[in-house]
Amino acid sequence: MTERYVGQRITRNEDPRLLTGQALFVDDMDIPGMLHAAFLRSDYAHARINSIDVSAARKRPGVVAVYTAEDLGDYWRPGPLLVPAPHSVENVIFNQRTQVPLVKDKAKYVGEAIAVVFAVSRYVAEDALEDIWVDYEPLAPVVDIERALDSDAPLIHEGLDSNLCAHLAQEKGDYEAACREADLVISRRIAIDRGAAAAMENRGLVANWDDKSQQLTLWDTTQAPIPVRNGLAGMLGLSEHQVRVIAPFVGGGFGPKIMMFLPEEVLLPWASMKLKRPIKWIEDRQENFYATTQERGQVHQAEMALTSDGRILGIKDVFVHDTGAYDPYGMTLPLNTQSHAMGAYDVPNYLTDAKVVFTNKMIVTPVRGAGRPQGIFVAERLLDLAARKLGIDRIEIRKRNFISPDDFPHNHKIIDQAFSPLVLDSGNYRLALEQAAERIGWQEFIGEEQPRLVAEGKHVGIGIASFIETTGIGPYEGARITVEASGKISVATGVGTQGQGHFTSFAQIVADQLGVSVRDVHLVTGDTAAFHWGTGTFASRGAVVAANAIYAAAKTVRAKIFDLASKTLETPKEKLELVDGHVRVADIPDQAITLGELAVLANPMRGAVEPGSEPGLEATDYFGPRYGATASGTHAMILEVDSDTMMVEIKRYVAVEDCGTVLNPLIVDGQIHGGVALGIANSYYEKLVFDEAGQLLNASLADYLIPSALEIPRIEIGHEETLSPLNPLGTKGAGEAGTIPVPALFAQALEDALADYDLEILEMPLSPNRLFELMQEARMERGDA
Amino acid sequence: MKLEGEYLFDGPRDKVWDLVRDPNVLVKVLPGTQSMTLVGENVYEGKMNVRIGPVAGVFAGRLVVSDEVPPESCTLSVKGRGAPGFINGVGQVQLVDQGDGATLLKYQGDLQIGGKLAGVGQRLMDSVSKSMIRQGLASLNRSLHAPPADQPAAPAAQPAPSAGAAPSETAFAAAVARDVVKDVADDIFAPEYRTAWMAAAVAIVGMVIGFWLGRMSSAD
Repeated sequence: MTERYVGQRITRNEDPRLLTGQALFVDDMDIPGMLHAAFLRSDYAHARINSIDVSAARKRPGVVAVYTAEDLGDYWRPGPLLVPAPHSVENVIFNQRTQVPLVKDKAKYVGEAIAVVFAVSRYVAEDALEDIWVDYEPLAPVVDIERALDSDAPLIHEGLDSNLCAHLAQEKGDYEAACREADLVISRRIAIDRGAAAAMENRGLVANWDDKSQQLTLWDTTQAPIPVRNGLAGMLGLSEHQVRVIAPFVGGGFGPKIMMFLPEEVLLPWASMKLKRPIKWIEDRQENFYATTQERGQVHQAEMALTSDGRILGIKDVFVHDTGAYDPYGMTLPLNTQSHAMGAYDVPNYLTDAKVVFTNKMIVTPVRGAGRPQGIFVAERLLDLAARKLGIDRIEIRKRNFISPDDFPHNHKIIDQAFSPLVLDSGNYRLALEQAAERIGWQEFIGEEQPRLVAEGKHVGIGIASFIETTGIGPYEGARITVEASGKISVATGVGTQGQGHFTSFAQIVADQLGVSVRDVHLVTGDTAAFHWGTGTFASRGAVVAANAIYAAAKTVRAKIFDLASKTLETPKEKLELVDGHVRVADIPDQAITLGELAVLANPMRGAVEPGSEPGLEATDYFGPRYGATASGTHAMILEVDSDTMMVEIKRYVAVEDCGTVLNPLIVDGQIHGGVALGIANSYYEKLVFDEAGQLLNASLADYLIPSALEIPRIEIGHEETLSPLNPLGTKGAGEAGTIPVPALFAQALEDALADYDLEILEMPLSPNRLFELMQEARMERGDA
Repeated sequence: MKLEGEYLFDGPRDKVWDLVRDPNVLVKVLPGTQSMTLVGENVYEGKMNVRIGPVAGVFAGRLVVSDEVPPESCTLSVKGRGAPGFINGVGQVQLVDQGDGATLLKYQGDLQIGGKLAGVGQRLMDSVSKSMIRQGLASLNRSLHAPPADQPAAPAAQPAPSAGAAPSETAFAAAVARDVVKDVADDIFAPEYRTAWMAAAVAIVGMVIGFWLGRMSSAD
């Protein structure tokens, strides 16, 4: 009897290859005659380029070509707008200014590409960069996002009369009226600063134009191989079938690898065609700080209006969002923030006003969490401060405000990142909260342990925070499933894979439908030659959109198998069963045929295929949800602050997640571990520090602190399963959930641990130094400095 | 970044002034200096190899001495550019006669650093370079009294710690910096010495140390 795989902790199909170094990554590609690229990047955040002299670089032995914007001719054009401005709401302002392949007249951030060298080795290429002389005329930069719209702020983009990139206000109900009825209004300035995604593998590309076959192949660390193929074909004037984009194994995506058509991706294929040579570019670790997109910078002026018994009457959130020097990703991030600043709560009146500003910093596009952690931080922080003011327990105030389980689907009456109405499909938020409180031992800690430890002079605190995550948005994904003559199954889907375990969780779905071992399902992802319809891996959508497409295709193949087996075995379908790679007659196990034999029969060498039928045991199917699913959960933590060093030790960490149907708990747990690690990083470690000239001051892993295994605690995980009604598998995404509530939770636990200071933590990321400053400020305010 | 400080020399002002205004020592004092030529009155151009942690390259720079009031004060302007980025700085050096055979040197400056160079060390330069400058001035002071014999410039004045030997403790790293500066100073100890360049040298050493200290002290 074949076991059922969905829901089981199946070890990953891809791990033997990954763990023994046999998996293909972009940098493994080595093609004879391959050139290497190096990019000259701006040292200034804002500077006019008066002239560029590349003559010496061109003369250096080993250099094959050096290009500046001038050499690109008609190929020089701003990149495509990847996400348009929302068309479904009125009064949206959006000023499109997308990135350029190479700076033509004015550099707009430190690291912006100015010239590219192609040489026989990376060494020669980098040496040649030193031969290039750029005549810069430095200009005053825009760095502070709160001053970007000042009337005297330098202008970044010509043709605009300010640095306003976008403006979108949305309202439901009437916040001002709610405010008038409120017993308490909490109003605070909340600031979240910028961080990097810091994937283990940096970006990389190998482009190979084959002049004889007129084919371009691009190995690319992208999260979206199909859109890259389609876009490049258009830019290069090729048929889509002349371009093959392969995203092999990728060492972490986390969002920035969904950003398409940065200079390297645009220039390598073009130069490969021009020079008729394969070309490689691998971003180095330092370059990653200057050449790969970042996220999170926002400043909020936020308000929450409540009744005296702690019920939320309304939230008002006016915020500025930093998009960096360009805005290729449209308004996805501020829309996500708007969708999450109500948290998991029933908020009858909501006013959200987002202004997006250009600054002289690296372009901002989604990083795991993608605008959501900022929104949840606002909602949770305001609620915590209200609870403190009203003397209501932190768990109790959440219970009083959760959207009720019988109030789903819950229409928030604003639009989300997909421009659809923000409708939360399903959920039972109280269950996760109760489970988290139970697992961490909330009552025991507050009642017994904490008083005892505080009496010993320790600063220990507990926190609990709830969140939602809009996931699994469309438009669609697809898959093709084939039973091969060997009896093994091949599956091709368009989404790329960056460590999510697709080779296993998708295989589990197929194995259940086709009665084979999960090890006999071979998956191809991210190769446009294998499947060329789809969007990409982002927005926690793989297990929702791609998985349901695979599920649909697998069901069709299953039906084909039964049809053919019924004819072959001359038995009605109802009497057949599909187990262990065989179709057999239920009562007579000896009367059976293997899937491989059926596959051969379905693809005959002679004879006639019946009209209206297709060869092979194969099906292609697609899935597109009406709107996105909404995952949710509650995290809780206990931490201790060393009041001498301000270092924080996390004593316990509990994450209770509801991502709908859990396809593979092992994989979901891994996603949560990684997500929580990034959340902790966003709370106390990772912060990109810019000076007033727009120079990044910590562009190395010695200065930009990524938490290691020592800083990340053991994470205890619980699951609730509220199935999504929007897809047949009932799945919701889990990729970003782990990250989203952590800064809010961390802040609350710190306040609890330092209760005697009466701190309010309204900014992230913190650091030991910053926490010390906040404590000193609090002490001064109390007048006992 | 602002640099500011003072140092007490136990020698007369004229002697200290001569020490800090002799251009011939520049090329010897600066670690990694490839050339340094006088191109106009009080204007020097030069090239210097710089290696700061993972950032390395040749800097082409120009130093201008202006507002010179011997033996009291002068202004130093430095502009340097290279593959690792750029440094622009303006600083004032002032010598105050203390009347008892001692001279107080006061300096203040503003340093702008950009590109990769800024990314790997600028944030730490402030604290580290201050103590490094102090050590440099101290060795300069010693040379007032015990001028060592003129020696050829050290060819290997690269201030980078050897690869793979990342020190993990502040004390150790500071000791390395001190030794580097001392080596340079000992090797080229002409009786005359240029304070501003010495300060620049120790600042660069400070940046190297800063890089290695990064993991420990950058969580602010």
